[in-house]
Amino acid sequence: MSADGALARADRPTAGADGVIHDRGYRRYDGPRLGRVQIVRSLCWHSFRSSFGIGRGPKAKIVPVIAFIAICLPAVVNAVMVAKGGTRVVSYSTYTFALRVVVLTIFVAVQAPELVSRDLRSRVLPLYFSRPMRRGDYPLAKYVAFTMACLAMIEIPLVLLYLGTIVSAKGHSGIWSETKGLAGGLLIGLMWAVLVAAIGLALASLSGRRAYATGAIAIYFFLTWTLSQLIYQIAGGRGGPFVPGGPSPGQRLAGLLSPFTVLDGVRQWFGDKAVGPMSPPGGYGAAYVVMFLVLLAASFAILAVRYRKAAAA
Amino acid sequence: MTTGAEGAVIETQVLTKRYPGNVTALDGLTVTVPSGITGLVGANGAGKSTLIKILLGLLEPTKGRAKVLGHDCQLEGEQIRTLIGYMPEHDCLPPDVSATEFVTHLGRMSGLPATAAKERAAESLRHVGLHEERYRQIGTYSTGMKQRVKLAQALVGDPRLLLLDEPTNGLDPAGRGSMLELISRIGTEFGISIVVASHLLGEIERICDNLVAIEAGRLLRADTITSFTEVSRVLLVEVEEGLAVLADELAKRGLDPRQHQRALLVPLAGDATYDAVRDAVADLGLPLGRLEQRRHSIEELFRDAVEPGAEPDYLMTEVSDVR
Repeated sequence: MSADGALARADRPTAGADGVIHDRGYRRYDGPRLGRVQIVRSLCWHSFRSSFGIGRGPKAKIVPVIAFIAICLPAVVNAVMVAKGGTRVVSYSTYTFALRVVVLTIFVAVQAPELVSRDLRSRVLPLYFSRPMRRGDYPLAKYVAFTMACLAMIEIPLVLLYLGTIVSAKGHSGIWSETKGLAGGLLIGLMWAVLVAAIGLALASLSGRRAYATGAIAIYFFLTWTLSQLIYQIAGGRGGPFVPGGPSPGQRLAGLLSPFTVLDGVRQWFGDKAVGPMSPPGGYGAAYVVMFLVLLAASFAILAVRYRKAAAA
Repeated sequence: MTTGAEGAVIETQVLTKRYPGNVTALDGLTVTVPSGITGLVGANGAGKSTLIKILLGLLEPTKGRAKVLGHDCQLEGEQIRTLIGYMPEHDCLPPDVSATEFVTHLGRMSGLPATAAKERAAESLRHVGLHEERYRQIGTYSTGMKQRVKLAQALVGDPRLLLLDEPTNGLDPAGRGSMLELISRIGTEFGISIVVASHLLGEIERICDNLVAIEAGRLLRADTITSFTEVSRVLLVEVEEGLAVLADELAKRGLDPRQHQRALLVPLAGDATYDAVRDAVADLGLPLGRLEQRRHSIEELFRDAVEPGAEPDYLMTEVSDVR
């Protein structure tokens, strides 16, 4: 066998190791090769598409499509009302807060594991790491892709709301104030996407079992949200949240527990006046900014450690 | 293409890897692997996978240097990984995509533009013998088909070197045979150098031009297959009865017989050995059943060599470097 092999090799044209056309159909590839940056971009695009189940079977599209329709519905309904002479009641900066929390929780809990847990589960990572990428490129591509996906979920309804409203806006001043409102809303939405995607991927990267990853994310988001609400109620005393003399410090700080209320605290710290789900943070606004950064840094740290290990494993 | 001295695809110099907890996976490994098909053999835990990871630039050696196709593994990992196709030992396929989609995606990850990735994925899958099945989800494949997909994804980027880690793992004898044939074809007809890591010597010996044997992170021996087998020439003597008596007699005549099933193996040192065996059998009047010169399979050779104390010198010459 090995003698035959040696013979075949001797018979081959020896004009250098390159550029030899072998018979039996194997063709060398001498076309262009993309660099590392383009490879990462390609992975990013691939992951963005799979965030919405594109390129997967029909089952993979159910949750993202329903979530997307659900989060767009208030914008569409309000836009239709505006066209019929009503006013815009949905705010650009808070949108429909509770709905956004529920929809994003579901979207992130289901789709973040789709992006990272699958690859862990099927142990496909060594195939990525044996290609011209660097260690951090894989989590980076996944993060950028998922942030874009969350951004689409958050910002497209805002844009729909805006488009529906300006069609019936009266005069330039109307359009200008709507545009200003939208711009603020988009910036806040970006902040949401950046944080929610980071937390989602970090939690998902801890488990290759998709069900566990989904559970961990859903429980984290819902539990912190519920606890935050609970503490808010308790801190308000028997009279509920609206005690005389303004919100207590407990009420002002209760929002630090949940990423969603942290995001809303940062929004208010920036000076946005729309009414949020809880009292304004008042003098504790900076604490919300710090918490935002801590959550973000912790998520990145988890991802970094997770994939440093994975590359060497 | 930059290659090292005389077309060496891999060169390592006193390559050492220690893991935390003082576990030594590689211990001063110096070896040069020429082009062609090379078997990397050693028991499980001998350091094969660690070596592969260092060669891929994924693991930093504690000491020493390694070069692949003329590129330094520590400094030019990215460059190396554009030239290597890697097939891991373990399962690495998602069950819920088709082979075509999966290999196309990994072709993209190897740096191929979209159209080229599609074409080369189809071709790679054809080369490994997956046809209509390639549109089916990988989860529905047999182990043999999965191994082929793993090989196809290593091939898709048109590598100059394939690193295959235990490619016949989990296959039945027929599957092993066809996988080995496939590897041999890729090595000889496609002009791609291949390193096949395996703990089954007898198996890969059939398809390799060269062999690198490692044990506990050290080089046991690196050489061409032919020189591996040359040192193992023995004479097989089979008698219908009186095997033990003959063994004693041969020992008295200065030979070193070893029982192998129902025969004796005697190191072959030349015509004198034949004469000694003939005389011994004749003097004892034993019915001689068979007398033939035989090549040890390398597996036997290797197995014997690693048995401490039981190291007949005809089985294993001293550890030597191939260069």
